[in-house]
Amino acid sequence: MKPISFIYRFIVTLGAVILAGVVAWQLWIYYMESPWTRDGRVRADIVSLAPDVSGPIVQVFVHDNQFVHTGEALFQIDPARFNLALAQANAALAQASAAEAKAHATMLNAEQNAARYAALSSNATSAISRDDASTQSLAAKAEYSAAQAAYAAAQVDLGVAQLNLRRTTARATVNGVITNFSMQPGDYVGAGSAIMAIVDTDSLYVDGYFEETKLRHIKVGDKATVQLLQGGPQIDGHVQGFAAAIADSERIAAPTLLADVNPTFTWVRLAARIPVRIALDKIPAGVNLVAGMTCTVTILPEKN
Amino acid sequence: MIGEFDIYGVLFPPLLIWVFMALLLSMAVRRGLSALGLYRFIWHRPLFDLCLLVMLTGLISLAANRYF
Repeated sequence: MKPISFIYRFIVTLGAVILAGVVAWQLWIYYMESPWTRDGRVRADIVSLAPDVSGPIVQVFVHDNQFVHTGEALFQIDPARFNLALAQANAALAQASAAEAKAHATMLNAEQNAARYAALSSNATSAISRDDASTQSLAAKAEYSAAQAAYAAAQVDLGVAQLNLRRTTARATVNGVITNFSMQPGDYVGAGSAIMAIVDTDSLYVDGYFEETKLRHIKVGDKATVQLLQGGPQIDGHVQGFAAAIADSERIAAPTLLADVNPTFTWVRLAARIPVRIALDKIPAGVNLVAGMTCTVTILPEKN
Repeated sequence: MIGEFDIYGVLFPPLLIWVFMALLLSMAVRRGLSALGLYRFIWHRPLFDLCLLVMLTGLISLAANRYF
């Protein structure tokens, strides 16, 4: 075997180096420059449902992980106290109605008196009596107005009592799945304190945590694909928006009004991650999205 | 393919797997080239071997992205 001249051997090796350089450059662009991230999360809006009135639970209509529709009854707070309150409000309304009727009668009587005094000649009555009758008539009129207002207030009280009674049945405000739920009849719930979480399944979306260096390649409206960590079909979506701000970890919340900036600055550092919201166009059948799942988000290059 | 490799609960980025596969493949290719005496055409053997690894990685990555 005769030896190959150096120049041929050099050219072959140089060709390999150039080719490898091109390949390495393409790999770099593909894996480092193009806008994709392995750090994506499936997310959903969570309703923290709190009862509007306090009381013990008498009936629970749903169970953990159940799908509920908007308006579906979830649980029933003991209505006994609110029924009593309603009866009381009805009685108060009847009382106010009677008081109003009485004030009306008094007013009519006082007006008649005043008219009679006004019709009498000055010889038959004194100016004092006439003025008294007229003042009484005005006072009775004012009392009637007050009784009317009291009646209206009693009507409002009745409305509040009816509302409270209605609110003893808690209803779902969204279509979604009840999660991490445990409640038994007898549990006492307080108005305003959240007791159950409903994951709004209509609101499922994906947050891609993109490095800030890749953000300039992404625009609102860009097509995106989402690949769940669990595998399965790719989900199509589009970029809906960017987070407007993220927390600054270099800045410590100081007790004074002045900025406290961390003086250590790392030589090797990592790009900040900015959440990019991906709206899912259509969730393929058979794909069960759970808020919190990890996924890979790829922004597709625009076709011009 | 841009995704993950799940090896008994530990997730690896695919590029790592492609490099590993390319390493195994390049060992075989190197042995083949050596047996055929084709290293006669090479000036700097370790440099060429490195280039071979990079090119095989690119090839496997391209094939994986195209077909998976």
